[in-house]
Amino acid sequence: MKNISNLKIDEEGKVAKVIAKEPVKGRLLSMGIVKGAKIKVVAHTLARQTWDILSDNTKVALREEEARSILVEEMK
Amino acid sequence: MSSCCGNDTSCEKSTIKAEKGEIKAAIVGQPNVGKSSIINALSNAKLHVGNFSGVTVEKKEVYVKKNGYDVLMTDLPGIYAFNAYAPEEQVAKDFLIKEDYDLIVNVVDANTLSRNLIFTLQLLDMHKKMILVINMVDEIEKRDGKINRKRIEELLGIPVILTSAKQNRGVDEIIDCIINTYDTNIVKNKIYYNEKIEQRIEDLAKILQKSQHFRDKKYSRFIAIRLLDRDENIYKIIHDLPIFIEAHKALEKMYAELEAEFDEDSTTDILANERVAIVRNLQMEAVDAKEEEESLSEKIDNFLIHPVLGLPIFLFFMWALFQLTFVLGNYPMNIIANIFGETSAYIANLLPEGSFNSILTQGILPAVSAVVMFLPNIIILFFGLNLLEQTGYMSRAAYLMDGFLKRFGLQGKAFVPLVSGFGCTVPAYMAARTLKNPKDRIITMLVLNFISCQARMPIYILLIGAFFANHNQGNILFGIYIGGAILGLIFAKILRKVLFKGEPEPFVMEMPPYRFPSGKVLFMTIWIKSKMFLKKAGSFIAIAAMVVWFLSSYPMHDNLRQDYAYKINQTKNIQTKNTLSDELHSKLLESSYLGTAGKFIEPVFKPLGFDWRVTVSVIAGLVAKEVVVSTMATIYSVGTSGASSKKLIQKIRENMDFKAAIALIIFVMIYSPCLAAMGTFYSEVPQWAWRTFYTIYPNIVAWIFAYSGYHILSFIGY
Repeated sequence: MKNISNLKIDEEGKVAKVIAKEPVKGRLLSMGIVKGAKIKVVAHTLARQTWDILSDNTKVALREEEARSILVEEMK
Repeated sequence: MSSCCGNDTSCEKSTIKAEKGEIKAAIVGQPNVGKSSIINALSNAKLHVGNFSGVTVEKKEVYVKKNGYDVLMTDLPGIYAFNAYAPEEQVAKDFLIKEDYDLIVNVVDANTLSRNLIFTLQLLDMHKKMILVINMVDEIEKRDGKINRKRIEELLGIPVILTSAKQNRGVDEIIDCIINTYDTNIVKNKIYYNEKIEQRIEDLAKILQKSQHFRDKKYSRFIAIRLLDRDENIYKIIHDLPIFIEAHKALEKMYAELEAEFDEDSTTDILANERVAIVRNLQMEAVDAKEEEESLSEKIDNFLIHPVLGLPIFLFFMWALFQLTFVLGNYPMNIIANIFGETSAYIANLLPEGSFNSILTQGILPAVSAVVMFLPNIIILFFGLNLLEQTGYMSRAAYLMDGFLKRFGLQGKAFVPLVSGFGCTVPAYMAARTLKNPKDRIITMLVLNFISCQARMPIYILLIGAFFANHNQGNILFGIYIGGAILGLIFAKILRKVLFKGEPEPFVMEMPPYRFPSGKVLFMTIWIKSKMFLKKAGSFIAIAAMVVWFLSSYPMHDNLRQDYAYKINQTKNIQTKNTLSDELHSKLLESSYLGTAGKFIEPVFKPLGFDWRVTVSVIAGLVAKEVVVSTMATIYSVGTSGASSKKLIQKIRENMDFKAAIALIIFVMIYSPCLAAMGTFYSEVPQWAWRTFYTIYPNIVAWIFAYSGYHILSFIGY
């Protein structure tokens, strides 16, 4: 399954599962990144180390490690 | 009848005038929902800023008198969820669970309602009287969206107010609603989870009720839900109770059963899914929000967090801020310096000569002047930092910096305390609390002394003013600040390598939409920060300066004075008179308590080119960095005439060479921050090993670097 770090800028996806451990998982949840949420990659830095994603009108900055822990399905 | 506000008739009940006592409300919300703007928009409110007891998190309290009630609102730090993550969130959580208050005012952002409401549901579990304030509705309406207030009230069972702090809409209704909700006795709960979960909650609550702590049914339900949510803080509370074994057994069984029944890894996930489902349902029924095509924020971000342009733009902003602080701040600084100089010269002539005259014009006034003079710089810098914070650019800066800081064993969020360190090390240590991993936090805190705070600026300005040309001064100052930061980063890497191994903490950070800053919030922040600075200056620093003045004026050497008085009387040449008078001052100082102490320690600093005067000033700087300059002013006795700062610059040129000045700048860049900052570090870090390390290592590093600087300059011929 794809994760966020596989997406391109402006590409959208639907969160299938968050495999991060607590407390990161809880933090992602409280920022609206939950199963079924629509998610869009807004930007990443030049070296793709930091990611900026949009979900439920909330922009969240993540590192590559966390981006990989959010599994996404393709949008239909 | 869930509504109590707006134009509803039920509001009028509370208009009877009488002293009815105090209502305590807790203002709770996720970060960036605009709580501060709401508080600032309240009319007739009195704001009090302090600290939460025992911790260094800012506590804002607002008083409003209305309809015979004293409404006291405590603004809690932003909290994302009860599964607390950052220490500030822990403060908010502790307050909500342990403190005594009458009702909760939950502020949410209309733009991000669904994730905000997930926390609202956690709050509703508490079964307290509660009001939901949906802020920034204007932004939803601008996009033709609509929020059905009545429907949300029905679904949640609590009163709802739609506000826009920006347009000052609905804000004062909050007070009416607090009074009204306080007056009515009913707390309705309309939130129920899946039957299977509810069954467990009930069973667990029954076990809890056996303990006298949880006799209250509503409270035991809340505790049961938190336990099922695997809340470690709550688990610790029941851990020491007699019912623990029974509760623990039941809990383990419930975890296993529920996780099997719902096919999830953890009951935390099950409850999270439940809440998400409830919120989605509510959203569907009551909220009609249009999705933004491409918001203004995104357009700005296309530019400001551009992979290539982002960093240079950020560096430009930082550079501009320091130029502004230096160039613009210079004007009021000179004016203040002149006013104090003139005043003290005037008073010196007015009053009869003696110790009172001396203490006032040479002790108190120069000390206060040295402090007040730097207020303009501090105001400009805090203005800039707060602007970055309020507009939302600060988190972009963290995003941009993460990849870079990661290489030094730090993380993007460490950028915020590091930048705050340019203002003052005390709040910077506190800002380091956003770093959850203790290792990341301690490393960030240990390198903060490399980040030059505002109070060190006077020393740099003085030395730069004495040894560099006017047009270069801004650049040199910028170089000092950047140089310190780079050194700090290198030390972060070294500390990470030597003291800790392992990956830095995960990085998950909200990037709030860009917002137009509120002048009122800006003003309040600057006001609070300036007041804090002046308070510290007014008492602590001035006392330290007075002590230095005393040590430098006593013991009195009457013989020496009489000798010189005679010599001065003998000559007619004014030039000679002045030289003799200077000579007297320096001799008096040399034989004072301070001079004796300075000379005793002088050998340690001799290799850096510091004489006993500089040595004494640097040591006084451990009390507060502002004191370094005021100590120099006292030691060089420049308080008696106008334009004392110019005279001080002249004295420094006479008494110090270029190498020593650079060594002093380097030493001040690195060595221990002030007592207030050290106290903050001690209170934030309980381990004595870290405290000891923290107290010693910066001074050794500072000495080594200053020594190297001095000798490299001397080698290349300065």
